[in-house]
Amino acid sequence: MKDLKHLYYFEKLLDEANNELVREAQKEGRICVGNVCSLVPEVLLDLPGTFTVRLRAPRTGSMEMGTYYLTSFLCEYSRALLERALEGGYQFLDCLIAPDACSMINRAVENMELLKTMTKEKFFYRNMEIPMKADDNGLSVYVSECRSKILEPLHEIYGIDTSEEALLTAVENHNKVCKLITEIGEFRKEENPRITGYEYHMITLASYVCPKDLLVEKLEETLEELKTREPDSKKQYRAKVVMAGSEIDDVDMIKLVEESGALVVADRFCFGALPGREEIPLNHKEDIVTQVCRHYMYASQCARYMNKEKIQGRQIYVDQLAREYHADGIIYQQMKFCDYWAYERMVCSHVLREDYGYPVLSVDRPYAVGASGQLRTRVQAFVESIEIKKIQKNRGGVK
Amino acid sequence: MGKKIGSERLGDLYQPGKKVRRRREWRGVKDTLYDYSRWLHTMGVLGKFMLNKNNVKAFFRYRWMVNYLAVPMMVDRHTAGLRGNQLRIAHTEYDLVVEDIAKLMANMFRADKNTGNDQEFSKKIVILDENEMSHLLCGFPNLIGVGREIPAVYVSVLLQQDAVCPYIDVAQEYGLSGDVCPMPEAEVGASIEDDYPIFGACAIQCNTTCDGSLMGNGVIARRLEGEHGVPCFQLAAPMRHTEEGVQEYAAQEIRNAIKFIEDCTGEKWDWDAYFECAKRFNAETRERLEWLDLSTTQYPQVIGANLALYTETVYMAIGGKVQAFLDADKKITRLAMDSYRKKEMIVPEYRHRAIVWGVQAQYYTDFLPWLQNCWGILPLVDMLSLVSTRMISENDPEQAIYDMAHLYENMIMRNRTHGGYKVLLDDLWRFCEQFQADMVILWEHMSCKALDGMHGLFEEQAREHGIKLIWAVHDLMDPRVVPRASLRQDVNRYMRSVLREEPLDPSLEEIDDAASW
Repeated sequence: MKDLKHLYYFEKLLDEANNELVREAQKEGRICVGNVCSLVPEVLLDLPGTFTVRLRAPRTGSMEMGTYYLTSFLCEYSRALLERALEGGYQFLDCLIAPDACSMINRAVENMELLKTMTKEKFFYRNMEIPMKADDNGLSVYVSECRSKILEPLHEIYGIDTSEEALLTAVENHNKVCKLITEIGEFRKEENPRITGYEYHMITLASYVCPKDLLVEKLEETLEELKTREPDSKKQYRAKVVMAGSEIDDVDMIKLVEESGALVVADRFCFGALPGREEIPLNHKEDIVTQVCRHYMYASQCARYMNKEKIQGRQIYVDQLAREYHADGIIYQQMKFCDYWAYERMVCSHVLREDYGYPVLSVDRPYAVGASGQLRTRVQAFVESIEIKKIQKNRGGVK
Repeated sequence: MGKKIGSERLGDLYQPGKKVRRRREWRGVKDTLYDYSRWLHTMGVLGKFMLNKNNVKAFFRYRWMVNYLAVPMMVDRHTAGLRGNQLRIAHTEYDLVVEDIAKLMANMFRADKNTGNDQEFSKKIVILDENEMSHLLCGFPNLIGVGREIPAVYVSVLLQQDAVCPYIDVAQEYGLSGDVCPMPEAEVGASIEDDYPIFGACAIQCNTTCDGSLMGNGVIARRLEGEHGVPCFQLAAPMRHTEEGVQEYAAQEIRNAIKFIEDCTGEKWDWDAYFECAKRFNAETRERLEWLDLSTTQYPQVIGANLALYTETVYMAIGGKVQAFLDADKKITRLAMDSYRKKEMIVPEYRHRAIVWGVQAQYYTDFLPWLQNCWGILPLVDMLSLVSTRMISENDPEQAIYDMAHLYENMIMRNRTHGGYKVLLDDLWRFCEQFQADMVILWEHMSCKALDGMHGLFEEQAREHGIKLIWAVHDLMDPRVVPRASLRQDVNRYMRSVLREEPLDPSLEEIDDAASW
């Protein structure tokens, strides 16, 4: 296929945390709100006068300082973030809203605070309580935490408008971007998709780390371009897969999988679009914060939610995606040392394989996969196994 | 060898390659006879336990039951070097703990489908997590709270160091990463292996100490609910437990849990029963505060591993429900005060006063007696014993809900691993000051992310506070990863190369207990 016109532009935006659009927004006097997890409602950080950046540590090399403070047993994402903070790579932030969701990210952010890595005068940190069950009690604490840890400090310290009108504008802007990304993602459902998983990942990832409104034009052009884009007549992949599991912000990860013969048609991971880039429905009966929190709480597929409905819902959700996007198999991945996804990966790999009948590749991986030969071999073998199963099935053999 | 403390070369008792020691410790006539009487008591409890046919069946059904042969040895390990009142304090604690565990297991096996299969009795049992407070049962006097993982996993490793390695292997063979905490990993392994007794009207699971523990519950619930038909409630205790804004959320979780138990069992919450327990719990807290007060003086009495293990039982598992524990507490206080007045010491010389911080190596809890006997490092108090000392309401039902929420938020270990750096990092230096400690023994449980995540700051701030910090690296439940000898080596190296000290008991510096129970 011909390259997408703006692919290089999106790729460039992912080269550094303080990218071109972040600098542009800050020049306009907008407040940059850092976040580190999908459990902090992103839309509440994207108010008129603010924008949010989900922290990444692109081009991570050495993590020696991060490893000294956090030891080598914490996930590389948390270590890479701390390393980058110690290097001064997040000095552009005006505040950082972190959830007390997993111990590792919580500790990484606490280290950033105690080691005084941010130097802006008005800089502040907030650690949010996030519900562990999706129910009314969880919703009440979610709402009160969002008000007291996000909206109040933004208003009091930076004078940001947090009125219902401002929140409505934020949701509308958020939905506009999400609608575009969702429409782009719909092309992945085609028999021979006109967009690759890598391309889609670049677009989605950029929307997490840039002021969203500044991306709209490029997203609209990309959508238009895709409408007439012709996929290669000969398929460039051997199997379609759903990529599920823990966070992926490494631009090489999806690329590596696709180079190994598996087209990623659905991205059910943090920094992915499923969920994350669906529109937030609003009604006129409730205040906006409550509606937003309810949406995030019920839509979230984070392994941290521990009630039964959520646990089973995560398996059902991946099954639905696989059907909807016509996937041949599922890659369940986790970042090494991640407790949540280690358990979730173990259980879901078995359930999806045994109860739902999918071929499942279950792997753990480093933060930055680079050109990992080991991972490449695993994916290649997985693709081959899917092909063999298909052949056997066609011959009426093993199902 | 005799009545005097420090008179025995304790290292000579070890036999390389053997599970048991060469002989029992000689403590002078009076103390040896007393110690022997307690050994007989323990054997009596074990003997009585095995007279019950359910328990005999369980012995052959459950792999982990074989570890209970090592109970007398476990008590011996934790009383090494003790004399006089100190010996009596330790035995008062362990006598009761041993009896309590035996009772817990007898109840389990009576109800268990695989052994006693008493279905009516089973309906009176509520399953709790291993590391969970049991206060929810205080208001249900007709129900019994049982943590299945306590005898199967938690106590098993105390008794025999490699007790749960097979379960860890099972979980990893099933696909669980090897880098998660081995405690929930072993608990999950036992569930996958179907090696838990099957019983219970319902289960109250809780996000206790860590992310792994929370996730392990999901796996266990799958079997409990899916296969055994035991409904499970997930009680979500807030992470930011020191903040006012989350307390209503925590309280509502308690209300919901009570309702769930009522619905599953048909029982009704009884405030009179609850407040009776609350009074006892407060009285126990007052006794504990006395012991901690003594530890701030030059003559500490109730310290170290024994305090830790006893506190875990009293604070979490008993929670004011059993009068015998309060009676024992009072006896301990009497003995301790008597020793304090006589200025009695635990080892011949106190060289360092240490706070023991972090998560203990479950397969080597007698590391603390070793510290005091070998190097004269007095383990005054450990992180797991420094739990809530807040008095709870004895008559106000509304306040009582918030009290229970507070206790569930402040379960042992959880009160420090969650709640932000202030309760883990800042509090440590505060305790060093309060207990006049010059040293910190920092258990570095390598898979405990909450503790590991403060590694660098512990080191930096220890230097700032002028505290000697010794890391004791371990893997909680798996001595194959870090053997006991390696923990001792961490200390030996520091004491010799940094502090240039000689051991109090040189026979203990290098011992071979790799095969020991």
